[in-house]
Amino acid sequence: MPWPDRLQATFVPAEHAVAFWGPLDLVHAHDLPEGRPGTCRFALPADGRVEPVDVPVRLVDLDTAVPALRALPARSAALGASVLAWRAAARLAEDGDPGELAARLPPAAHAVLNAEETAIMSARAALTRFHQAVATASALRATGLRATPRPYQVRGIAWLRALAAEGGGGVLADDMGLGKTLQAIGLLATRRHPDQRPHLVVCPTSLVGNWLREIQRFAPDTPVIGYHGARRALPEHVAAGTVVVTSYSVLRTDQALRQQHWDTAVFDEAQQLKNPDAQVSRAAAGLTAHARIAMTGTPVENRLTELWSILHVTNPGVLGSRARFRQRFAGPIEQRRSATAAARLNALVGPHLLRRTKSEVAADLPAKQHTTVACTLTAEQARLYTDAVDRAFATGLGSGIARRGRVLALLTALKQICNHPAQYLGENGENGENGERELVGRSGKFDRAVEMLAEIADQGDRALVFTQYRAMGELLCRQLTDTLGGDPVPFLHGGLSLARRDRLVHAFQTDDTAPPVLLLSLRAAGFGLNLTRASHVVHYDRWWNPAVEEQATDRAHRIGQQRTLTVHTLVTGGTIEDHIARLHQTKRALADVVSRDAEAALADLSDADLHSVLELNPGAIA
Amino acid sequence: MPDFGATGWGRAWVRAVESTAVTTPNPLLPKARSLARNDAVTTVDIAPGRLTAEVVDRGRHHRVTIDIPLWTGQVRLVADRLVARSLAEHRGLAPGDLPDALAADLASHGIDIAVPTDAQTATCTCASRRRPCSHVLATHYALAQRVDEQPALALTLRAPRRTGHRQGDPDWIDLREVDAAAFYGG
Repeated sequence: MPWPDRLQATFVPAEHAVAFWGPLDLVHAHDLPEGRPGTCRFALPADGRVEPVDVPVRLVDLDTAVPALRALPARSAALGASVLAWRAAARLAEDGDPGELAARLPPAAHAVLNAEETAIMSARAALTRFHQAVATASALRATGLRATPRPYQVRGIAWLRALAAEGGGGVLADDMGLGKTLQAIGLLATRRHPDQRPHLVVCPTSLVGNWLREIQRFAPDTPVIGYHGARRALPEHVAAGTVVVTSYSVLRTDQALRQQHWDTAVFDEAQQLKNPDAQVSRAAAGLTAHARIAMTGTPVENRLTELWSILHVTNPGVLGSRARFRQRFAGPIEQRRSATAAARLNALVGPHLLRRTKSEVAADLPAKQHTTVACTLTAEQARLYTDAVDRAFATGLGSGIARRGRVLALLTALKQICNHPAQYLGENGENGENGERELVGRSGKFDRAVEMLAEIADQGDRALVFTQYRAMGELLCRQLTDTLGGDPVPFLHGGLSLARRDRLVHAFQTDDTAPPVLLLSLRAAGFGLNLTRASHVVHYDRWWNPAVEEQATDRAHRIGQQRTLTVHTLVTGGTIEDHIARLHQTKRALADVVSRDAEAALADLSDADLHSVLELNPGAIA
Repeated sequence: MPDFGATGWGRAWVRAVESTAVTTPNPLLPKARSLARNDAVTTVDIAPGRLTAEVVDRGRHHRVTIDIPLWTGQVRLVADRLVARSLAEHRGLAPGDLPDALAADLASHGIDIAVPTDAQTATCTCASRRRPCSHVLATHYALAQRVDEQPALALTLRAPRRTGHRQGDPDWIDLREVDAAAFYGG
């Protein structure tokens, strides 16, 4: 590969930086900033073609790169055409016509690859993003944002600003913990001109207070109004650039929100809009706003129509009618896993959806390690398991809705047996005269989990344990309190008041004397919890949808977390849990947005196929 | 929802193989559907007047080529007019989609979206003496699926549009189109 003999520069939007590469010693010769060392995937020429390669670079953040580029000489034997082109772009700064400049940008200046590594960014697109990024950074400085957004966050704010400027919409779908709220605040705070309308933020009731606090903290100059509760009222005239924060439950029926014309409407935790028939979704779609932004870490939890529903609010029409969407995308992808339909859907949604994963953007975030802990069944479990399967098939599963119900009941029974016979049999621990029946020795998984958690506690580490069953959480609570000694191990579930949950979370995060294990019900641990003190996460039982488990895991794996997080998934070999584990693998392999209702899929199988999935694999017994 | 022919456009291609005019159903059709359902038909390429695909059957790879006549003369003129009118009426159409009403409109003007197997020239590298073989038929089912996902492909096959067809994403340049010689500029 011919390596250039002159210094090169490429703008990397995702890093909010200019990458200098080639003969890097020339960086010093021209008083260019050192930047940070890194590796970029660029397309470079080789044998008359261009190919993706790893290129060692020095990344210089735009804030320092722009003045440094401006200061370069107009001509130099050591500077490549790409450097000189970016010098010209930096001198044009925020205004000027990028059209003429685009022709002067050689491919080296815009050699950034797409995700599939089949294409590079066009010169015009690179210039547009460069100018958006420069303009965004200076707008953020001008508004006095009290935070230093990370490079990918500036990129996100620039993306949101471009959408809002066009009067369009989009979905910010970054992984949980990457600071979507800060990016949205960056957008709202920089869209504030005297002639502009107010902004609206809609979020779950439990997050209204959080939003008000965050806006006051990061953008103290931005006026903000909380609009919720029975005595809520909007002032006669809401000042330009004011952010009104309300909840989905208010949005559902409120007239004042509907009558106001908004500049930008932001929908946080937009999974709330996943049902297109719900009153709240219709109310969201009915708002009058110049721009609409949805924020969610899981644009699709179960069905693709959820994605349609969210985009119907932010970008109406882009996916066609709902019926047509089902024919063209949801049906082909969910029923027959069509790769072409998934690729087309991704291409169609791509321009309107920004999704960064933790591994892509946060190099300084400690790693997350996944381990699968294989467990065995005890003789008691194996007997219960085989009996349950035999009984269900002997009775017959029927067809249609009834079949779905019976299959679901069987699946639940099998999962409970894998968890612990006591959960399946409904033993509540007060078992006649003998007092509590011993829990240890009856479930391979239960014993393994208790051993592991005892070991984690011995090491002085902290762990979160997720289960989807309240009864299972109670059993674990009883045993772990016994094994670990000390205070009862806390169990955070939906039956606790919000204040009570807050106290549990606070104790886990800050109190050194609190038990080192926190049990959580998967559904109750919805949003807003920050449990970064844990260095271990244990998934005691499996959820059908990997997205739900990952959302739970992300309670612990957020920015602010200092240590490596280990995620333990317990899988009982040869059982339904094995099947779910395989399902998760294929789901992850499929396109990001694609998911499927797994329980319904099982109900659709013939008796023979279903039996072969569910019957106990004889190798599984201890 | 049917596996094949969820839209009016895909349905036209399903009807072409499951022709109602034939009294005895073709015994190869269940196998052809099964091949298409199990993703045995790969790399379907849809070009003006030609459909090519690779079909994997019991571990063997077969190459299928089907030549389909383009709309010409008066048919093409009428089709172009109907398409233009329909697109003008449906300005908000999602990319790649065409209204089912247009498919019905074409049919009512006697313009066939699909071509029955006896009016095509189809070849397959398999050794079967039955023609069309199950691989050619499977390719039709796979085509119906692709057309369901992207109805505009039905027109690509019969009446390639000269203008107004958006090619690719202007923000990205395919690697094959990047000039390696001018990579570092002057």
